[in-house]
Amino acid sequence: MTAATTAYGVVTVDVDRAEWPRAVTQARDEGFAFFDLLTAVDREGDGFDVVLRLWDPRRRTGLVLRTRCPRDDARVPTLLGVFAGAGWHERATAELFGIAFEGHVTTPLLLPASFEGHPLRKEFVLAARVAKRWPGAKEPGESDADLATPSRRRPQPPGVPPGWGERS
Amino acid sequence: MTPYEQGLAALRAAQYPVPVRSRGVIALLEENCTVCMVCARECPDWCIEIDSHKETLPPRTERGRPRVLHVLDRFAIDFALCMWCGICIEACPFDALFWSPELPPATRDPAELVHERAELRAWLATVPAPPALDPAAAPAKEQQDADRRSGPG
Ligand code: SF4
Ligand code: SF4
Repeated sequence: MTAATTAYGVVTVDVDRAEWPRAVTQARDEGFAFFDLLTAVDREGDGFDVVLRLWDPRRRTGLVLRTRCPRDDARVPTLLGVFAGAGWHERATAELFGIAFEGHVTTPLLLPASFEGHPLRKEFVLAARVAKRWPGAKEPGESDADLATPSRRRPQPPGVPPGWGERS
Repeated sequence: MTPYEQGLAALRAAQYPVPVRSRGVIALLEENCTVCMVCARECPDWCIEIDSHKETLPPRTERGRPRVLHVLDRFAIDFALCMWCGICIEACPFDALFWSPELPPATRDPAELVHERAELRAWLATVPAPPALDPAAAPAKEQQDADRRSGPG
């Protein structure tokens, strides 16, 4: 199943993941021959979108292709056979989102070998969020010294689980 | 001057031609800031630090009540962390933050990329005027208020 939508002047084609390499090959052969980028979007309960942008250098127009995989089955066929240059982007997407690209043994690209987790997944909490105090914890009329008095419930920083970074 | 410092000075002196609506550096109009903390809480990078204290104003009339005012003590943006998203500027309910097309000066020490209140204030001079209203638009609310106050009666 494929469906095209236009938003903000960008044409996006949604593709079933089984059809992914075939649809990208077709777009390439129709003129979208320049591989621009490949990345992913964490849709939380709905899984992950893998997003690819291609460019047609003759018509000077772009095209976005998108496929979705479930969270508990995060894998998509590789595009290595369509665009060799997709390899680099698939390696980055694999380590940052924890998505497997079937047919491509992705080696780490950006993160140190000892790194655990996939930092662009929504559930990933950045260590800096624990090491640094949230500047928004202060109420109007307060300064750092007022934070020492644990008087009432303070606002919590968005995206940080309760209890993280609290030091006693 | 070391060669590094000479290069830095040349960079700072260069009038790099950027489009007027570029996101260069963030300017603070202190008078408009009510210390509501919205920008510090909305900033995804946690790079806005605000300190303030409370002051109590005596009642204006005999039967009036004292008023509590929040007074700004510190306002700093860490441009080493900032990612130029503009969320703070969009979120500020009181129009106290503005984009300036100037770039924060290059430095050798990331600590110098923390711009304190006075520096943020100084960037105001470089903020371009807002785009003109549509000719058919009603005047801005502030203008309407001012006209009403200065008008006859
Ligand atoms: S532009 Fe974005 S990152 Fe920078 S201070 Fe404002 S909200 Fe924070
Ligand atoms: S959102 Fe605006 S008014 Fe509120 S603290 Fe920030 S700059 Fe000041």
